[in-house]
Amino acid sequence: MANVKPEDMGKPSEYIARPEELMPLPAPYDKPGMEPEFKPIKDSWKEDFCTSLDGFVGNDTLSRPKTKEEEQEMIKKFLSGLDKLFSDETNRGYLQPLTLSFEYCAKCNTCSEACHTFKASGETEIYRPIFRSEVLRKIYRKHKNGDSLLNRFVGGDIDINIETIMRLGELAYRCNLCRRCAQTCPLGLDNGLLAREIRKIFSMEMGIAPKPLHEKGTINQLRTGSSTGLNKAALLDVIEFIEEDIYDKTGKEYKIPIDKKGADILLTHNAGEFLAWPENPAAFAIIFEEAGLNWTLSSEMIGYDNVNYGIFYDDAQAKKIGLEQFKAARDLGVRKIVIGECGHAHKAATVSMDRNVAGPDNIPRESFLPLLHEIIKKKAIKQDPSRNNFPVTLHDPCNMARMMGLIMPQREIIKTICPQFREMTPNGAKNYCCGGGSGFAIMNSFNFPEFRNKISSRMKFKQILNAFQDTIEDPEIPKYVCAPCSNCKGAIRDILDYYETTAKFNVHYGGLVELVVNAMPQFERPFLDFLDEEAGMM
Amino acid sequence: MALLLFIYLSVGAFIGISLYKAYTYAKMPLHGRWELYPVPKEAGERGHYGGSYYEELEWWKKPRKISHVGEIKEMLKEMIFIKNLFVNQKRQWWLSYSLHLGIYLVGLWTILLLTGALLELSGTPVAASQQTSNSAFMVSFIYYATIFSGLVGAALLTIGSGGLFIKRLVNNTFSRYTTPQEYLNLLFLCAVSVSGLVVWAGDPAFNYGREVLKGLLTFSPIHAGTALTVHILLLGALLIYIPQTKMSHYVGKYFAFHKVLWENEPNIPNSKMEQKVKENLSYKPKTSWSAPHINPGAMASEEK
Repeated sequence: MANVKPEDMGKPSEYIARPEELMPLPAPYDKPGMEPEFKPIKDSWKEDFCTSLDGFVGNDTLSRPKTKEEEQEMIKKFLSGLDKLFSDETNRGYLQPLTLSFEYCAKCNTCSEACHTFKASGETEIYRPIFRSEVLRKIYRKHKNGDSLLNRFVGGDIDINIETIMRLGELAYRCNLCRRCAQTCPLGLDNGLLAREIRKIFSMEMGIAPKPLHEKGTINQLRTGSSTGLNKAALLDVIEFIEEDIYDKTGKEYKIPIDKKGADILLTHNAGEFLAWPENPAAFAIIFEEAGLNWTLSSEMIGYDNVNYGIFYDDAQAKKIGLEQFKAARDLGVRKIVIGECGHAHKAATVSMDRNVAGPDNIPRESFLPLLHEIIKKKAIKQDPSRNNFPVTLHDPCNMARMMGLIMPQREIIKTICPQFREMTPNGAKNYCCGGGSGFAIMNSFNFPEFRNKISSRMKFKQILNAFQDTIEDPEIPKYVCAPCSNCKGAIRDILDYYETTAKFNVHYGGLVELVVNAMPQFERPFLDFLDEEAGMM
Repeated sequence: MALLLFIYLSVGAFIGISLYKAYTYAKMPLHGRWELYPVPKEAGERGHYGGSYYEELEWWKKPRKISHVGEIKEMLKEMIFIKNLFVNQKRQWWLSYSLHLGIYLVGLWTILLLTGALLELSGTPVAASQQTSNSAFMVSFIYYATIFSGLVGAALLTIGSGGLFIKRLVNNTFSRYTTPQEYLNLLFLCAVSVSGLVVWAGDPAFNYGREVLKGLLTFSPIHAGTALTVHILLLGALLIYIPQTKMSHYVGKYFAFHKVLWENEPNIPNSKMEQKVKENLSYKPKTSWSAPHINPGAMASEEK
């Protein structure tokens, strides 16, 4: 649909918009054939889900209603949820920011230039940050004031039909909630917030949210203790495995403290690290032990998984999980919680949950970054930067940088231990999202990974390629993208795999603590597998 | 007399409705933290590069360093120059800034007219003077500054509002998102400034403005010709209209920056914030969301 407008959301068409001319990538991906093409959409998806937005299915529980009655029921529920968004009974925690962003947009389009998804998609209209917000405004006005001429005059000109609702349910999952757009808004308004509020209507009123976030995410976490399904027994097995692995790599035996009552620090990890990147908790254990810290992990319900996907789509789920995590720390009697390499867990525990807790459960919480910086600065562990003598760049997780103001500690650390460090552009608080933010990194249903790899992660891929332009085409030189966040690592892992960048150009990714341990001269073998010939032979 | 009452009414409505809007936002419940860095009240370099107290080890033990100067500086840059638009979208800034600077100058013009009216009521006519005394210089300054601010303000407001109207009309992207009301808003501003320029053309020293204000100050009838009557009616209607629309972003912008994006006050035990949090947490909502994982009872009762 050419020249698509917000009021077209309810009009019948195969797609509202389909991204075509994507943002060009730098060398060596500027040559034909370097990038996989979009795959065709299956007819069965069209029948059962909402492909009519842009051809992608991200919200895998947003099923098409089978009857007219079901359609009407779904619309009714959406509108009831919309009312609840604007109520100080049901949306107390976000009413003020929501109302401000809802009321005052001057539509100057400054936000569009800041949005990585809009730019990377070749400026596909529906990804413009104000497109989604404007649809919401039109629906609200129509819902509240009906179909009068006056209402059309003020912008209530939209059909509230099942197509509008379904498409909006998908469109809420085309924004990473990175809030880069809000940084540029002259009025301080936030289209990311509005995307999240739309997600809340679907989840909190209609019970519709992507399975990886809800059913397999927060529901699973509240039931089993972890969004990965990892229970206590499995966790203890994994920790034993990690201890063995550390011994194999370093020749030194470390005992990882678990459930140590009265420890100074409760270290929390994204449980995905235990399963997908065990070298990360291993590196933390080595550093904390070598620095002589009094610390522990928890094996109690939710205490070992700092994930809180609720902050992406559902305030109620976020609160339940957040409070359980604080309770686990309180039960252990620790002095503080230190959050490991997970961006959204940083924000959830320190910022999002901060006004949901009072009294004894309000245990101090901090990022691992100032602590690690202190360890490096005070030389509590010995470091040899020459062991990291290869090009390294740093990705700033949005939840740490833009939403928490954590900018300098990671730079101070990495500059100390990586002689060939180079920044991405832009960086720090002005960074671009990895494209996996707000749950995208784990949403792998249908063809959504294509959207992520080709569109939402495209700007980050461009930044990575630009950071390594001097060596990118030399496969002999290893290059490292440091991403101190599980979800960001997941998204970067996927783009490096999708574009075969590791295989063809020797670009690797990983966390910050792995670089720190790799620089420890007391260990003979490198800690990073891609540098370790012995690991390569295994 | 009717014209006089209308002016009182419109000024009162502008102030009253604006204050009511501010009050409505101010009394909303404590919201969850939703700050966005850079937060300019973070002291030192942090306010610039986007750092925060979270960069410090055991931040809760350290005294909070807040730079009110940093916050005010950033606020003034945004208020006076619309900095974010200048930095991120210069092409749009020229027209938008023209409109806003026009409004600021018209505001200054109103203050100068008021000063002039008070002077004249106290027996000092406001006119260009050849005398060199300090008081004569001040009167001359007010006289010329009134002409400058009124004329330049109205001209910039006309260019800005008219230019933005045309841009929204002809630019394919802007036109897609512009509602009829938003066109009206710009036209309304343009009509008021053009009508003001028409009145000015017949009285380049803005003596009519001082006469109107003298009438307002002494509660005396205003003698207005057709052009001035039309201008006063349009301006008054605009003053009543603005606070009821999103043109009242002078209210919203304060809350959006100060109470949302730059509000990063942590909930530390025994702090004022903790008290607020406790009060907020003690609130028991009368209704709830309906999804099964939140309110299983709601679904069951609906099915009955």
